[in-house]
Amino acid sequence: MYDLFFQKFQEKVPLSNEEQEQIKAYLTPKKLRKRQYLLQKGDVCKAIAFVEKGTLREYSVESGSEHIIQFAIEGWTISDLFSFLTGEPATYHIEAIEEAELILISKSAHEELLKVQPKYETYMRLLITGAYIALQRRHTSNISLPVEERYRNFTEMYPDIVQRVPQHMIASYLGLTPETLSRIRKKMANRE
Amino acid sequence: MHRAWSVGNFALLEIKIMKTMQTIAIIGASGNMGSAISKSLSKGNYRLLLCAREQDKVQAVVEEIRSSNPAAAVEAIDCSVEASWEADIIIVAVPYEAEKEVAQKIREVSNQKIVISISNPLNSSYNGLVTAPDTSAAEELQKSLPNAKVVKAFNTTFAADFSTPVIDGRQADAFVAGNEEDALRTVSELVSTAGFNPLLAGDLSVSRTLENMQLLLIQLNMKYNYNWLAGWKILHQ
Repeated sequence: MYDLFFQKFQEKVPLSNEEQEQIKAYLTPKKLRKRQYLLQKGDVCKAIAFVEKGTLREYSVESGSEHIIQFAIEGWTISDLFSFLTGEPATYHIEAIEEAELILISKSAHEELLKVQPKYETYMRLLITGAYIALQRRHTSNISLPVEERYRNFTEMYPDIVQRVPQHMIASYLGLTPETLSRIRKKMANRE
Repeated sequence: MHRAWSVGNFALLEIKIMKTMQTIAIIGASGNMGSAISKSLSKGNYRLLLCAREQDKVQAVVEEIRSSNPAAAVEAIDCSVEASWEADIIIVAVPYEAEKEVAQKIREVSNQKIVISISNPLNSSYNGLVTAPDTSAAEELQKSLPNAKVVKAFNTTFAADFSTPVIDGRQADAFVAGNEEDALRTVSELVSTAGFNPLLAGDLSVSRTLENMQLLLIQLNMKYNYNWLAGWKILHQ
């Protein structure tokens, strides 16, 4: 149930068995079915979710159309970090697009763990730093790269997601219409 | 949406109704109390997973809920572990004697979750409790589930009260006891959805008093023939 969570944790910060047990006591195992929400816009995001199994997406809805902000597959974490950290209402929805098994870290568990376990603090610092870097990379790519290159970068960086997620969602993530994405894919295929 | 109410002598409790549907597992949902709780909570913005040994009985409860409220998010599930794994809140609606066994099964998947203890550990002749005076069913459940947030609720209300929470013109109080403020707030919202007036009684050890209060109410019910439709109401200024 917690295998992948601690595997990923230990890749960044090694833990003794005792430390692992101590941290485990604060975690919430949670299953979601396909299409079920972990979070809806307007609620306060009360947990960071680590994906043991399944796929989730985080998205906003602007004047009727969906914009995907992030995907999460096995080994990734997902949350509305802005809402989680500030206590303000969430601006995004988070939904399972496949049945999912999650490990949740609630806000209160998070705060308590920061106090009692320095290795958790280190791990969280690395996670949040990584999330910031990914966010900036995405912004830069959206502003400066041509769409074709954006798609190619995405497939190179996240080959697993390309396999798992329907094309129209990838188009939404890249800020393209499904038709544009399909044209780009055809063009790339023809060139190869 | 905000809703607030005064809770006895305790601070004003503000509840923010969540949009994200919370999942509640009700273990023992085919019993008197389990089915009454399931029916009344199906009115709220919750997804209910009804769990019991007798699948046909629990399926009948599901059908009954659906026929009166077709929009209700409710289903029968045959495994307490699966139900609790999916749940945000777990209601253990089994007799006190069966609680330990349930706790053992759901121990891992109930980690950090709200677990509601509704039982009253009555002896077989209904003239006393089987628990020692320095503990309660709720505290015993907490010992079996050390990483869960056990809350005492729905133990001072009879099953019939759920369809008639306003008795003789007055809304019955329903006492809530526990150690975590967030969990108390969530459970109070559940109590309010069920139609009762939630009253925060104190920490989990107050369950000893609450369980004895229901012992008294059961004895009074049998003595004065309240027909199992009776409840508590704190009169105050």
